Amino acid sequence: MTNMDYFLEVRDLKKYFQAGRPGWFSKSTRLVHAVDDISLQLQRGEVIALVGESGCGKSTLALTLMGLEKPTAGQIIFEGEDITHADESQLKTLRQRIQMVFQDPYESLNPTQSIEEIVGEPLVVHDLGLSPAERRERVVRALEDAGLKPADIYMRRFPHELSGGQRQRVVIAGALVLEPHLLLADEPVSMLDVSIRAEILNLLADLRKSRQISIIFITHDLGTVGYFADRIAVMYLGRIVETGAMREVLESPQHPYTRALLSVIPVPNPRLRRERVILQGETPNPIDLPSGCRFHPRCPVAIERCKQEDPPYVRLSATHQTACWLVKEA
Amino acid sequence: MQAIAESSKPKTQSTSPLLTFWRTFRRNPMALVGLTMLIIILLLAVFARQLAPYDVTSSANVSTADIYNPPGGAHLLGTDDAGKDVLSNFFFGARISLIVGFFAAFISVFIGGVIGIVAGFYGGRIENILMRFTDIMLVIPDLPLMVVIVALTKPSLINIIFVIGLLGWTTTARIVRSQTLAVKSRKFVLRARAIGAGNFHIILHHILPLVMPLLVVNAILVISLAILNESALSFIGLGDPTALSWGQMLNYAFGRGAMSAGAWWALVVPGLGIVWVVLALTLLGHGLEQVLNPRLEFHHLEPGRPVVQSEARQPVARAEDGRPILLEVQNLSVDYVTAGKPPARAVENVSFQLREGELMGLVGESGCGKTTLMLALLRLLPPAGQIVGGKVWFMGRDLTAMDETELQTVRWNGISIVFQGAMNAFNPVRTIGDQIFEAIQKHTPILPEDKIEDRVSELLELVGISAEHKAHFPHQYSGGMRQRAMIAMALACNPSVVIADEPTTALDVMIQAQILELLDSLRKKLGLSIIFVTHDLGVVAEMCDSVLVMYGGVTAEYASVDTIYNAPRHPYTQELLKAFPDLSKLDKRLASIPGYPPRLDQLPPGCRFAPRCPQALERCHTQPPALHRLEGTHVASCHLLDG
Repeated sequence: MTNMDYFLEVRDLKKYFQAGRPGWFSKSTRLVHAVDDISLQLQRGEVIALVGESGCGKSTLALTLMGLEKPTAGQIIFEGEDITHADESQLKTLRQRIQMVFQDPYESLNPTQSIEEIVGEPLVVHDLGLSPAERRERVVRALEDAGLKPADIYMRRFPHELSGGQRQRVVIAGALVLEPHLLLADEPVSMLDVSIRAEILNLLADLRKSRQISIIFITHDLGTVGYFADRIAVMYLGRIVETGAMREVLESPQHPYTRALLSVIPVPNPRLRRERVILQGETPNPIDLPSGCRFHPRCPVAIERCKQEDPPYVRLSATHQTACWLVKEA
Repeated sequence: MQAIAESSKPKTQSTSPLLTFWRTFRRNPMALVGLTMLIIILLLAVFARQLAPYDVTSSANVSTADIYNPPGGAHLLGTDDAGKDVLSNFFFGARISLIVGFFAAFISVFIGGVIGIVAGFYGGRIENILMRFTDIMLVIPDLPLMVVIVALTKPSLINIIFVIGLLGWTTTARIVRSQTLAVKSRKFVLRARAIGAGNFHIILHHILPLVMPLLVVNAILVISLAILNESALSFIGLGDPTALSWGQMLNYAFGRGAMSAGAWWALVVPGLGIVWVVLALTLLGHGLEQVLNPRLEFHHLEPGRPVVQSEARQPVARAEDGRPILLEVQNLSVDYVTAGKPPARAVENVSFQLREGELMGLVGESGCGKTTLMLALLRLLPPAGQIVGGKVWFMGRDLTAMDETELQTVRWNGISIVFQGAMNAFNPVRTIGDQIFEAIQKHTPILPEDKIEDRVSELLELVGISAEHKAHFPHQYSGGMRQRAMIAMALACNPSVVIADEPTTALDVMIQAQILELLDSLRKKLGLSIIFVTHDLGVVAEMCDSVLVMYGGVTAEYASVDTIYNAPRHPYTQELLKAFPDLSKLDKRLASIPGYPPRLDQLPPGCRFAPRCPQALERCHTQPPALHRLEGTHVASCHLLDG
């Protein structure tokens, strides 16, 4: 397998932070294992969902892929180019191809900028040599692609004049204006009303088709990924515990953590009340990792072995694999 | 997509932030008075040559008889020690004082702004060095240092401006740094970085515009400080002898026997000038601060103005199943009143019943009046919100007719509320246990302290937090734990009704499931009635008894949970259910409800849901639908149900 096979390939990526703020005289040696040995591959036009609770490292992974955090170890290869240690100028050209959509549309727009300024900002920053008319045209196209039609009525507005759903469309338009190849969407719908969520999810699904964009969709809610993800990777404490094609993971989840996440998705029908596996406690802090399998302290089916040994990946099909002692190889 | 465009059209025209600023500014008397005072003195200084009755630069036609002449006659404000006209001196002195003030302040604000932004933005070693330097500058007493420097250099106007300017930037630097730190951590700065923007671009386009308001306010206060400093320097004889400022006037008058001559005017006039300018700048500065930061003005949870109604009682009603009805809301309407605009109807004619031990879901999109309705129940509406009709019966008493003191006994003791986002409202410097302790003590002051301590532990255990966490601070709690602690606080006075406003919205699905499980178990254990406010129909399906769906401030549908999910009659409820991801139908595209909820000040004339409704009839756009009573307690407001 050569580097060229994949559009994006992440190999054994690690990102550790120093715990606490080192002072003038003290040096902290404790490490936060935010991303711990992650490998994943993405093909052009593919959508992968990264699922996990807050604190599992999914946002850090996204920031590391964006080059906004420097990886501690591992390799990131994007479109055949090793970008693990990209310098500032490399990063700048890279950012025309990788863009990010942030979680909170209320916070991720500068309140003093008009919509036109916000969406056009990437064009200014990257100085693509466009005339004002061309620039405007691209802003209009991005806004309309993001579902804000006709764009004219939005361009002169300010973020506070828009609803949450409209703001998220502006954020998406701002990410589209450079015509990126890869979109990192970090919880793009978790702050929105359910009725608006569907619109944004459909929009992302459409964009993927019309623009052939690959999307890494980051979420804590397995319920929202079914509609357009090709593959799902479930993360826990900095590690991928299960990964597979969308249907494999949603229809025959193998890891106890995936099963628990699936069981707590609210079902909008009281007649279908079912047994939920509610894990107690929260993701432990990634400083003092549990021994053995990192999930064992919260795992409802943990056995003695889980406490001592870290389970290796078990291959269930060509695409489906999980790290659990209770799962047998296919 | 079509509907989105349509629904946005009637919106008001875009307003630039500058225009909005001016509108708010105009309504602030403090800022207006300050600005007027400042403009008057500026005009006097600019037109000094035209306005002054005498030329202060020439000493011609001055005799010894002119020295310290009292006000009146040829000299409106008398003459000074050199026989010159005090009024003319005052006008020309204003020039010098203001020039020094403005230029020195400009230097200070520039240096302070740059140091503050650089330190705040870059952080790390740069910040450490810059801020320690600022600290050192801050502890050096300014005035003595100025005296020394001016005394060593030539006391010219330029020197004075630079000395004052170069020593007066420390507070600006500190203020700007903290604001920069706050702005820097906001998401849009990260977004700018993600699109590839460099530091300079980010500072110029994202940091500066948000630091600017603070910088302006600060600059105005720095100007007044600079004017005071200049006056002080001149007064002790270190002013530029060739430039007559107000401080210089004071210096001359004081040093040349104005006191012994009884020539009060020579001292009072320049003194008043200084007071006038400093007062003007201070008023303007504080006024601007209020305009730019409206949150300083009033608290969101001030008691609302109630409708005056006579005290009423009625026996506690019982539902059909024999359970007592704890809370009954009848036709409650709430208006938001803004000066110069027609009142906006935020809640209209909403009725519901809450039985003992019942869990009711209150569902609707953001901005549909859910929170307003809940605040109205306890009369905690912001000052603009008014209950304009309806009744709220709680245990047989009408809450809308109670006076404040009576209400106090109901709030928290009878009905308590977990506010939206309240889990982030703990005081960060006090332990969770302390804060719950205080809440209990406030409501039941007779309880001995050790009993309260026990109660705090008991409450925490009740919500699934072990009592040893009592002594921990909010930052040591995770989001889910803080929400549990907030629920513990709401339970402190054994209320019979708990209102939980979006208690799980910002939480992960797993934590959300934990909180839901907790509320359900509390209801069973304590016999609580709970109103669960949410935008997510899925969340309430698993445990609610009844559901009230609101849209645009009115009841869309109200029924038992089974009816809502399995036989909904209102198109809005139906559409909301369709928009829900269903894992058993993975191939189907998600249905969405195009468009957005109406704005309260632009409600459609007919049914409020009509513009987004896929089944809307002609009359839906013109007449508001009646509330139809279907079988049992099921009600829905929709024209499709008209006979």
